[in-house]
Amino acid sequence: MVDQLPNLGREEEMLKEMGVASIDALFADVPESVRMVGDLPLPDAQSEEALLADAKRLLGANLALGDQPSFLGAGLYRNFVPSCVFQLVTRGEFLTSYTPYQPEVSQGMLQAMWEFQSLISELIAMPITNLSLYDGSTAAAEALTCAVRVHNRKAEQKDTVYISELTPPDRISVIHNYCQGAGINVETLRHDENGCINLEDVQRARGSCAVYVEQPNPLGIIDGGYPSLKEIIGETTALIVGVQPVSLGLLEAPGNYGADIVIGEGQPLGSPITGGGPLYGIFGCTQPYLRLMPGRIVGRSIDVDGKEAYCLTLSTREQHIRRHRATSNICTNETLIALMGAMHMSLLGPEGLEQLAVRNMAACTQLKRQLAGVEGVTLPYHGQSHFNEFVVELPASTSACLAYLEANGVVGGLDVSNWYADKTNQMLVTVTDQTSQRDLDRLVDCLNSWTQEVNA
Amino acid sequence: MSRLFEHFGAEGKGYAQPAPMLPASELGVPSNMARQQLPRWPRLSEPEMVRHYTWLSKRNFGIDTGFYPLGSCTMKHNPRVNEVVAQLPGIADIHPHQPEHQLQGLLSIYYEMQDMLAICAGMDAVTLQPVAGAQGEFTAVRCFQEYFRHRGEHHRTKVIVPDSAHGTNPASAAMAGFEIIEIPSQEDGRIDLSALRAVVGDDTAAMMITNPNTLGLFEQDIAEASSIVHEVGGLMYYDGANFNAILGRTSPGLMGFDAVHYNLHKTFSQPHGGGGPGSGPIGVKEHLAPFLPSPIVARRAPTDDEKKQCVDDYWYTWHTPEHTIGKVQQWHGNAGAVLRCWAYYRRYGKELRTMSEHAVLNANYLRHAIHREAKAAGVDHLFVDGADTIVAKHEFTLSLGPAKEALGISAMDVAKGLLDMGYMAPTVYFPLVVPECMMIEPTETESKETLDTFARDFCKVLQLDAETLHNAPTTTPVRRVDEVYAARNLCLRHPFDDE
Repeated sequence: MVDQLPNLGREEEMLKEMGVASIDALFADVPESVRMVGDLPLPDAQSEEALLADAKRLLGANLALGDQPSFLGAGLYRNFVPSCVFQLVTRGEFLTSYTPYQPEVSQGMLQAMWEFQSLISELIAMPITNLSLYDGSTAAAEALTCAVRVHNRKAEQKDTVYISELTPPDRISVIHNYCQGAGINVETLRHDENGCINLEDVQRARGSCAVYVEQPNPLGIIDGGYPSLKEIIGETTALIVGVQPVSLGLLEAPGNYGADIVIGEGQPLGSPITGGGPLYGIFGCTQPYLRLMPGRIVGRSIDVDGKEAYCLTLSTREQHIRRHRATSNICTNETLIALMGAMHMSLLGPEGLEQLAVRNMAACTQLKRQLAGVEGVTLPYHGQSHFNEFVVELPASTSACLAYLEANGVVGGLDVSNWYADKTNQMLVTVTDQTSQRDLDRLVDCLNSWTQEVNA
Repeated sequence: MSRLFEHFGAEGKGYAQPAPMLPASELGVPSNMARQQLPRWPRLSEPEMVRHYTWLSKRNFGIDTGFYPLGSCTMKHNPRVNEVVAQLPGIADIHPHQPEHQLQGLLSIYYEMQDMLAICAGMDAVTLQPVAGAQGEFTAVRCFQEYFRHRGEHHRTKVIVPDSAHGTNPASAAMAGFEIIEIPSQEDGRIDLSALRAVVGDDTAAMMITNPNTLGLFEQDIAEASSIVHEVGGLMYYDGANFNAILGRTSPGLMGFDAVHYNLHKTFSQPHGGGGPGSGPIGVKEHLAPFLPSPIVARRAPTDDEKKQCVDDYWYTWHTPEHTIGKVQQWHGNAGAVLRCWAYYRRYGKELRTMSEHAVLNANYLRHAIHREAKAAGVDHLFVDGADTIVAKHEFTLSLGPAKEALGISAMDVAKGLLDMGYMAPTVYFPLVVPECMMIEPTETESKETLDTFARDFCKVLQLDAETLHNAPTTTPVRRVDEVYAARNLCLRHPFDDE
């Protein structure tokens, strides 16, 4: 049944030519004591059509978000990705190439990644970016360990970093796994009742190696206090800001308010959610971090004829050269997804990005207005600006609300108790450019009828 | 030359978006957070954008373009059905925070993959969360660390790696905070048991090793190495980069390993995309299972309510291992990559062993053909086997030391000469233990004719004079790129005129 092997049926011919008795003889160097006896206990091979039928049946059993109004985001966002991104990214020359170790025949991907770096650099206002890390969470973790490498020698609070207490627990867990090996102590920073960072509390972080916050923050709030952060923590503490890249069509780029390192989950630009991966992590920084930063970097150079050419550069930071002294163990990254990002960005252009951001925030603002009219539902951070998601306080448990919504054909938002156990009645509601006025009306109608049912 | 940043058309040239629900003036962005200047991105219409990226793609070499014998990287054909499967809305358009009952299809596939990977490697439990081989290594050594802490064995701080190991091994263990002990290989490139015995002790946490090793040789003493490490209480880690050579013939479990990572993009199939994405699940023996990242997929009999939504006889749930190390990626790993590998695996089923056999058949055949053609062309004095062995596994090494000495032709020169012949060059200068090393891995998806032709072309390159080869390549989009210039004149983004 296997049809991917050109030499199937020609084994004898090849073995004979080599003077080898059998396939078994090719494995004669595997000692008998460790040989596998018998067939792998796995099912028979399937034809392509049988596989496709199974794939459609099984994946069809998943609820695709496009099939009904959906308000789930919390870090991953389903923006529209133009058709030609998918058409172009599956060109075999991109899809089936390896890391560009031979630059002469890899100019296409190298230049595309240099252009990606240029696009991201402009987006976040950082002079230096790499060509992607795995995702937003590992980018945050690598940014923290990078900051410790740079600042620890002079830090008063050695091996210490501070992160916002609002950081989602799954992301904190990734950060802990990456930080603990380097012996880094991860402290948290408090927030005020209004959901914004407590600037007084940030004073504690002075003399540490880094402060990590997100904009918009995990509650969807655009925190206006961030421009003060760098001054509070000082030159020798890295300010690391995590961004939702689409929001930067409206929000100031962190590089313009003091950030030393900017990271983000790149997915909303260029990629579907895909069950949470593959994604791509954005990583950009200023000059002092250059030689201790993680990940691959493309530089523009020349060939022997003086012609413009691109190649990987600053590789001496990396594992294949520096081994256990490398700045990170990353080897394979997310180049192809970053390429999708670059394609999406090229089609948007500056004004297109702005419009995409406006569409997100407009749907969000509109939903906030409509929900203000739903009795029993309140917005705990109503006074704040939100980009594309916000928290609602419900009159009963979020899980009950989500079940009601689902029964009525709506995928609700994130149950906030998944993040903060005591917030059992809160839901993080997300919109994107894919959210229609009809979707908003449907959600509002459902919440109206549910709250009446709850109050009855 | 087509450059993205030379396209500056009129505003709004890209794709037209619907109008926003509200005008920008009603959005209330805090004034101190409002963007002052939009990113200076280019403006392209769709036809311009399509042509730019098509032009770029033509300057890139993929497996679809031609033979790609890049040793250690397993550049095999990627069945296109994988791409079709991965773009179905039931994977592309699902969110990891959706409740279990909305994702039974995905969970069942995850369970099937966990199960299949455990069977193939002789392990007891598998997590699909790590998103690359290197992250799999890191995840496993983190599990080791928590395992030892749990047992109160805080003194186990050292990880042993052979000098021929992939760079990610020591880098991953160091990231988890371990001290690295590098041991020399024997002259034939295989593990030196006496060197291993000399360094193991109470402080040994683990040994990390790949088998077949980076020379493409099966480590015949592997079971003995496992006992040496186990006797002092350490753990054995299998770097699965070369697992494609032995699937169905032996397994890390049979060799005595406690943990393994799988490079799904190598052993199975997920196009490498010019540097990723990958996927690096890990499998472990029972004693390490409680430490795996959370969650993994478990299954049980469904309740009556659940039966309506079942995809088969079971109900699939996310399960948190008892002493989990937590997360290494925020969600459930590279689900899209896992799906592609699942599709690939379904096409082979129990015949996965045939895949391995053909990888080894092709490597040995190509090695034979190169020697055969070299003799015929009278260039067999210009290279020697990187390792003295009767059979190789999925890849083999050649040393171009003799060519370097006799003619001043380096492995890199030959690599560049091969580019001019229309091939991707093999891996050069790795592993470091072979001088002027060229590492060749044909994979199972190349025909005998391709292998024969490559062998002849390889010898044609060796017949070229040194000057021609020093100047190669000449037929590629650019000629040799000046990497020193790139590092000394750092240009990492488009320079605008005013900078």
